[in-house]
Amino acid sequence: MNYSMVKNLILKDWYFQRQGILLSLAGGAVSLGIVAFGGKPGFTLGLILLVTIMAMISAMTVMANVIGERENQTLAFVMSLPISYLEYTTSKILGNLLIFVPFWLTMLAGSVALIVAAPVIHGFFAFAIIMAVEILVSTCLMIAVALVSESKGWAISAMVVGNVALNIVGYLVAHIPGIRDGMFGTVIQWRPAATISLIVEFALIALMLGGAFYFQSRKKDFI
Amino acid sequence: MNDLAVQFDGVSKRYTHFSLENIHLELSTGSIMGFIGANGAGKSTTIRILMGLVHQDAGTVRVLGHAMPAEQAAAKLDIGFVSEDMRLYGAATLAWHMDFLRPMYPRWDQAYAERLTQRFDLKPQQKIKGLSHGQRVKAALLLALARRPRLLVLDEPTTGLDPVARVEVLGELMAALADEERTILFSSHNTLDVEQISDQITFIDRGRIIDSDDKEVFLDRWRRLRLVLPADGVVPRLPGVVEVGGSSRLPVLTTNQFEPAMVSICNDLGATVQAVDTMTLEEIFVANVHSRRERLTA
Repeated sequence: MNYSMVKNLILKDWYFQRQGILLSLAGGAVSLGIVAFGGKPGFTLGLILLVTIMAMISAMTVMANVIGERENQTLAFVMSLPISYLEYTTSKILGNLLIFVPFWLTMLAGSVALIVAAPVIHGFFAFAIIMAVEILVSTCLMIAVALVSESKGWAISAMVVGNVALNIVGYLVAHIPGIRDGMFGTVIQWRPAATISLIVEFALIALMLGGAFYFQSRKKDFI
Repeated sequence: MNDLAVQFDGVSKRYTHFSLENIHLELSTGSIMGFIGANGAGKSTTIRILMGLVHQDAGTVRVLGHAMPAEQAAAKLDIGFVSEDMRLYGAATLAWHMDFLRPMYPRWDQAYAERLTQRFDLKPQQKIKGLSHGQRVKAALLLALARRPRLLVLDEPTTGLDPVARVEVLGELMAALADEERTILFSSHNTLDVEQISDQITFIDRGRIIDSDDKEVFLDRWRRLRLVLPADGVVPRLPGVVEVGGSSRLPVLTTNQFEPAMVSICNDLGATVQAVDTMTLEEIFVANVHSRRERLTA
């Protein structure tokens, strides 16, 4: 693996996404501000805005960095560079994650800080963490599908599936006894059910990204 | 020491509606090969296999001593590639592209890149999306040449250019190539472009290599003989005749094995040779393709 080449490709994707990243960070900060200072209606509105921005940055980066390269015919330029499929795939997965994850971590840290600072919503701690990781799962699904399919249609389908799954997972997690109990309480709790939920989510991420590498290695046509 | 820059041996690639069959292709180091075929003949598929971007179903490919596609990263370090369907990043400048590529290629020649910028009349700080199509082709050529590649692969680089831009690009490419010796594979359906630049010619049609030789050999051995036959005369049987046109009294024979002695043979057989016409590469290509297709349908 030529790590220097992978780094160059990642920096290239960052360069082209720099405005989107900055705008998303600003939007995320505004959302957290609304959550913190908007009262009860602001709490709901800010959370919706935050999740929307996360979904938007995830879709925007994948569409631009993966699908866009094929549609704009810059993929041939990239693949003519001294790289292998493995380096290309690694750069795309890491590149997209390194754009999304810092934003995601910042928003997650902000959300956790807000919960910790407001005893009235302490009970939401575990639920918020699990749902934040679920957004990461949806992002990884979209990255993997976009990379393997190289199709805008499939990538949009993956985004829709991810968003629907977010609602379903939210409903299911809220009904897991170990998480449901105390969710509306004023005490921060972390029970085994929350740990298991996170393990399942990270296993899904590993499976999807591993699958992307596997299917990419079996591809016979790169452009 | 293998002096072949490119070697295809029994390469096949099958798609639903097209297949590349049993391709044997050799390109010697230092030579310039024109790769000619109609649209959809298999030029781009062959070149993509050469670049490791498409994996062959059967056969072996070696490029600059590297097995493809397994060693494509090492091979591509020494290849400059420009393709008709390849685009640079529209939102970035030419200078950004040079900065992006420089650390990837140990032999990147910045002074040469700057000379080419002036020769091609490009502005490094101008965004690619603001360039004309001709300027974009020149920018892509600049980025390929400044790598100082051992092998330059040009896949229909002049397609879509207006005549003025085409002549400019070809002229500047030839001037740039005059600087030093490189191995080049130049694909096009435009035989005029290929004729100017190549010393070897390969024709491909419907996924098969149909002929490959030195350009001068092609131009020497292909001729059209315009004959006049007596009233009861028959067309003389000459070697290498691929096409018989004209009328029964005034036949026109196209041969790919012309020898000056053919004129006296015709005269001996009662036919008068009115003219022996040389053929352009385009005429040779078209006659070659037609004769092969007729053989296949016969």
